[in-house]
Amino acid sequence: MLEIKCPYCGKRSQNEFSYGGDASVKRPALEKEISDKEWDDFVYFRKNPRGKHLELWHHVSGCRQWFKVSRDTTTHEIYKTSKINEE
Amino acid sequence: MQKYSIFSLIKNAFTNHENWEVAWKDPEPKKEYDVVIVGGGGHGLATAYYLAKEHKITNVAILEKGWIGGGNVGRNTTILRSNYMWDANGLFYEYGMKLWENLSQELNYNVMYSPRGIINLAHSDAQLNTYSRRGNSMRLNGIDAMMLGRDELKKMIPFADFSSSARFPIFGGLMQPRGGTARHDAVAWGYARQADSMGVDIIQHCEVTGFEVQNGKIKSVQTSRGNIQTKKVGLCVAGSTSLLAEKLNMKLPIESHVLQACVSEPVKPFLDHVVTFGAGHFYCSQSDKGEMVMGGDLDGYNSYAQRGNLPTLQHVLSEGVAMFPNLSRLKMLRTWGGIMDMSMDGSPIIDKTHIEGLYLNCGWCYGGFKATPVSGWTFAYTIAQDQPHDLNSKFKLNRFSSGHLIDEKGVGTKTWIG
Amino acid sequence: MMQKYRLDKKGYINRKKIISFKFNGKKYFGYEGDTLASALLANGIHLVGRSFKYHRPRGFIGAGVDEPNAKVQLYNKEAKNEPNVLATEVELVEGLTAKSQNCWPSVSFDFGAINNLFSKFFPAGFYYKTFMWPKNFWYRIYEPIIRKAAGLGVAPLKPDPDRYEHKFEYCDVLVAGSGPAGISTALAAAKNGAKVILAEEKPRFGGSLLSDEVTIGNKNGKDWADESISQLKSMPNVIVKNRSQVFGYYDHNMMVMIEKTKDHLENPTKFIPRQRLWYIRAKEVVISTGSIERPLVFANNDRPGIMLASAAKEYMKVYGVLVGKKPIIFTNNDSAYDCAIEFKKNGIDPLVLDIRKNSDSSIVKEAKNLNIKIKFSHGVANSKGHLRVNLATIGKLNNSKSSYENLENVSCDCICVSGNWTPTVHLSSQSGNKLKFNDKIDAFIPNQSRQNETTIGSASGAFTLKKSLEDGFSKGYEISKKITGKDTKSSPPTSNERSSEEHDKFWCMPLPKGKHYKRFVDFQNDVAVSDIELAVREGFRSIEHVKRYTTLGMATDQGKTSNLNGLQLVSNVEKKIVPEVGHTTFRPPYNPVTIGAIVGREVGKNYRPTRKSPMHSWHEKNNAVFVDAGLWLRPRYYKQSNETLSDAAIREATNVRNNVGVCDVTSLGKIDIKGADSAEFLNRVYTNAWMKLPVGKSRYGVMLREDGIVFDDGTTTRISENHFHMTTTTAQAVNILAHLEYYLQVVWPELDVNVLSTTEQWAGAAIAGPNSRDLMGKLFPSLDVSNEALPFMGFKEEDLFGVPARIFRISFSGELAYEINVESGYGIFMWEKIMELGKEMNIEPYGTEALSTLRIEMGHVAGSEIDGRVISSDLSLEGMLSKKKDFIGKRSLNREAFLDPDREKIVGVIPLDRKTMIPEGSHLVKDNKSSLPNPKLGHISASCWSVEYNNPFSLAILKEGKKRIGEKLYALSPLKNKSIPVEIVSSHYVDPKGERVRS
Repeated sequence: MLEIKCPYCGKRSQNEFSYGGDASVKRPALEKEISDKEWDDFVYFRKNPRGKHLELWHHVSGCRQWFKVSRDTTTHEIYKTSKINEE
Repeated sequence: MQKYSIFSLIKNAFTNHENWEVAWKDPEPKKEYDVVIVGGGGHGLATAYYLAKEHKITNVAILEKGWIGGGNVGRNTTILRSNYMWDANGLFYEYGMKLWENLSQELNYNVMYSPRGIINLAHSDAQLNTYSRRGNSMRLNGIDAMMLGRDELKKMIPFADFSSSARFPIFGGLMQPRGGTARHDAVAWGYARQADSMGVDIIQHCEVTGFEVQNGKIKSVQTSRGNIQTKKVGLCVAGSTSLLAEKLNMKLPIESHVLQACVSEPVKPFLDHVVTFGAGHFYCSQSDKGEMVMGGDLDGYNSYAQRGNLPTLQHVLSEGVAMFPNLSRLKMLRTWGGIMDMSMDGSPIIDKTHIEGLYLNCGWCYGGFKATPVSGWTFAYTIAQDQPHDLNSKFKLNRFSSGHLIDEKGVGTKTWIG
Repeated sequence: MMQKYRLDKKGYINRKKIISFKFNGKKYFGYEGDTLASALLANGIHLVGRSFKYHRPRGFIGAGVDEPNAKVQLYNKEAKNEPNVLATEVELVEGLTAKSQNCWPSVSFDFGAINNLFSKFFPAGFYYKTFMWPKNFWYRIYEPIIRKAAGLGVAPLKPDPDRYEHKFEYCDVLVAGSGPAGISTALAAAKNGAKVILAEEKPRFGGSLLSDEVTIGNKNGKDWADESISQLKSMPNVIVKNRSQVFGYYDHNMMVMIEKTKDHLENPTKFIPRQRLWYIRAKEVVISTGSIERPLVFANNDRPGIMLASAAKEYMKVYGVLVGKKPIIFTNNDSAYDCAIEFKKNGIDPLVLDIRKNSDSSIVKEAKNLNIKIKFSHGVANSKGHLRVNLATIGKLNNSKSSYENLENVSCDCICVSGNWTPTVHLSSQSGNKLKFNDKIDAFIPNQSRQNETTIGSASGAFTLKKSLEDGFSKGYEISKKITGKDTKSSPPTSNERSSEEHDKFWCMPLPKGKHYKRFVDFQNDVAVSDIELAVREGFRSIEHVKRYTTLGMATDQGKTSNLNGLQLVSNVEKKIVPEVGHTTFRPPYNPVTIGAIVGREVGKNYRPTRKSPMHSWHEKNNAVFVDAGLWLRPRYYKQSNETLSDAAIREATNVRNNVGVCDVTSLGKIDIKGADSAEFLNRVYTNAWMKLPVGKSRYGVMLREDGIVFDDGTTTRISENHFHMTTTTAQAVNILAHLEYYLQVVWPELDVNVLSTTEQWAGAAIAGPNSRDLMGKLFPSLDVSNEALPFMGFKEEDLFGVPARIFRISFSGELAYEINVESGYGIFMWEKIMELGKEMNIEPYGTEALSTLRIEMGHVAGSEIDGRVISSDLSLEGMLSKKKDFIGKRSLNREAFLDPDREKIVGVIPLDRKTMIPEGSHLVKDNKSSLPNPKLGHISASCWSVEYNNPFSLAILKEGKKRIGEKLYALSPLKNKSIPVEIVSSHYVDPKGERVRS
């Protein structure tokens, strides 16, 4: 079971969190004219890397904050967690 | 090639089994092939076999990074079925079932196809209705399906929780009688042996490191054992598809996730069907060795590690015990994980790509094992004819842009929810 | 009472307490502190089971978890039977009843042994080569026969009466294994202030100290262990656990341990769990799991009486049991001499066969001084004895060890073998540690740690006591210092042990000339040397292929004694070195774990939580029949006399249409939304416009996912300028909240909005029917409930007899209707008031079934239509797609497939005979006689008996739906053998203009 450091609450076991997928995917701004390809890239297409993966987690059974986790998809090692507005 | 039979077995017994031939050779890669299949798993081996058998293309190499059959074909729960709602899936997998039915004889290798019936338990009337929609769709597609009532189920699986203490009582179930299991390793080995005998080169411990593409056409494959010229490359590397696609500057509608499975210690057979739990995600059958073979949900985060964590198994086994309370006193013997290509609508991709000569076979989610024959068959057709067969014509890569999604579960792009 | 093989005064058993037990129907006696294995051996019983494939008679190989053969079935009271229990692990309790497995009619006479006669025809993988003809015979004939022979023990079929617990623990240092290395580490770390957990899988602490002749300080090893354990137990920062095995090393130093808490107790108290599963998050893990002796391989090396030398020694030292009185010790290393000396000390003359040419170690000298007969360069070539070994053919090996110079028969009653030691590296490997091969001991040892783990003692390949103690103390100190910052260093005590020399790498004896006897590598699965050779011959050269083809290491012992021998054999045949062949993956669990223990308390009704509304007890008292709606229990109908579900649904729905009904809608998701940008936020998450919704008004809204698919629907009410109350469906409540939080926190953090689930804070009652306004007037006498003052989609806050209430004039039933929310604690008060005041208007409660009927005939969509695969236009909700603003999912709606004019559309369906209910899940087709596959035009999503028209009515999602209104089709349900001619009508079957809700 992963141990994830919520930037707001501290270290907690994974069962308090839910996963939110690739955090490098950015939703295009509302009303912005974009190509079909840009939109499809946002909705469906993923880098799906082996190794370092920046992803979202949600502290559902805690503070209910979404935050970013930098994690290795091969070893599951977590390098860093940060608030959404932090680098 | 030696023919396998009871007679050859007896004959060889008298020479102490010292005269058996190798099941497949271990050749050095040639400089050039007509077709290169990347990935020596079930789908890759089947594709090579059908290329040789159906399309007479035998100058084929299978490149496998490790040992053949070491990926998901060797780490699944061996379930075969075609109990799908959407036509694109139903008709495809049903053709697969027909291939399964003759596979042992065709390959002269006992893959132990066992049509013991797969039962999906339902725990409410609403769920029964959802299953009816699927079951009726199957029947109208010519696929076997039947509804079972609670009383019928009590006779078939009396050890299931029919008591008043069940949190989600069993209301009934949908059964596909021809669904069942097969011996997973045998499938890989059987295809390998026949493909090898028709001239296909099975090259193990050969990692693909890159591709050479010129003017939009595939030219060669770079490997840890040198460059191999070819005009056609088929990718059959579910679990790692995105990694090879990256070498081709392609992004795919796929995420890799780890799925765990486990077996109990062997016990005398008491479960003769494959049964799935409807108030959760759990499936279970009992192998011919007596082990309960069990699986369920993904670990739920992107992963390329063939290992998972215990809470997922705790969750899955709690579903198992909710379904069959007697599992509680058995012991979990072995657990393992496999990497799934989770596609964004839960259905596979078997298609050409924008690169001429590059073909894609991926996105199998949980369901790749049962598809092995039909995936190989249709992919071989697609490669040989340079166009999809009717059966895989809906499994296009561009369906994500066009909106022709094939979403069996209706959960959308959150692949980790499964 | 005779225990013929029990030694006087030896061992750590309690001779004051005699215990009776039954094995294979016969009564025996042992002592408290025995295992089933030691008690059987004390009674001279070696034959304990039959092998999996050939049904060969088998006895004990080991004395612990490495045992491959001695799996028995335990029979207990109630449903407490347990298959596949290791006799070497079961502690003897009064009345224990055990039986051999995989044999019939008995272990000494087993029909299955016929397989052994034909074993020649059953080499590795034989089943892949045969049973293929005729087709279909596999499933019908061969497989059923094979399945009859499958399995070991018999699974209980009743639910498990025992309970299991989980415990979560955090510590600085977890030490797995309480041998000398483990105890030293725990002592050093604990004294330096670390929070330590020391886990021992056996009932007794001490590991090898229990049976090795060593001294530590000025005490013997066992006494030192006992004293150290007492010392550890007295420290507040230490948890010491026996019968506790760490079986899994997971991510982020999460260790999982299983503790046996009940089965060894004679009279367990009522509430004691059977086992306890510990999830332990350890800052550092020290793996001191010891090592396991490898067997030597020779012809017929599987007979009962042939066992590991270390096990024989353990039975003597720990249990005071002789495993035989005419022992042969067969070894390639010094450690087995311990066993020989122990026999000698107990008055038994062993014969030692040593593969090595000589050894000058102190232990061999000691043996020689004791006049123990030793034959160097000798080994066992074959053994005889049907149910117990009684003869060994021994011989002198030639120089190349490829054959024997001479052979002679020696009678014996046990052969104690030692092929050197394999470090127990399972946990290290599970942690991600890439193992390396140590040539000196011919085994893998841990290399580079990936997580915070350290392996010490013989698990790391260090086989001397001195090194174990030194490493334990220094690692315990170093690791704890890193964590606690403290600096209390304790030094290791002096120790004394016998020194030993190198082992001989030779372990697989040649066959006697011209013979084809089986030499077993994996005992339980009957994998012999010839099987592994055959696999390699057939091209199964990868160790994983060998494992899968031969089933080597796949039995319940997971190859603890066989994997390395198998590996060495493959490397010999392939003429490679072992590290080139590699090893198979070590995966949790180290030893099989009871499934119930993994599951814990999530069983029966507690499998998942049950959510109940505050009015649940009222529903129960009023004959409600409940239905699961996700985790919620909702009244499906309120049963009167012997009504059926459909009778009740018709009665309840009719009453709503004619009078007034009340429905518990507490389970609907409720989200409180506050902040200056709330309206803007809703405008983005819903497809329709929200900026201009006036305060005091509700509006219906539909949400999409980004892929354009309809996600959920519900009404949201503007309570004040910057305060909204959102409702969601019961099913999606949890997901919608996370969805809203995602957009607010990740995508649009600039919006000033907060969301909070209030599902559990409000109890909800829907009051529907033509009399509902009258009832509202009674419930809220001071409120003007006229259509003008409280119009459709209006909202008011008012006291309900002193209880603050929210009143929404919204309707799912299509009737004039209101929904009242009060704080949950007042739910029952509200409900009873409604029932009391509604009595004169003929109020009746209605359940979800009537609710469905009402919404279906109105054409309102619900979960059966919003199934995660439809877009707004499929549900005729395209009018709600705002053209003036962007919203979640809008950009996806221009996809080719979504714009297809022939897409599905929601319609109504009526059977032509106006009588036959159309089963939900039926499909609509043009031609009911078409050949298969029959093209499907759509499906029936929901059906009801229309109380308005007194005939069946269904909703369907139908291709080109709107164009087909008036068309005649067939609704087919082959599952129910039904083909129903139907007519397509509008989905708005009742009150299509929506006049009632506005009345």
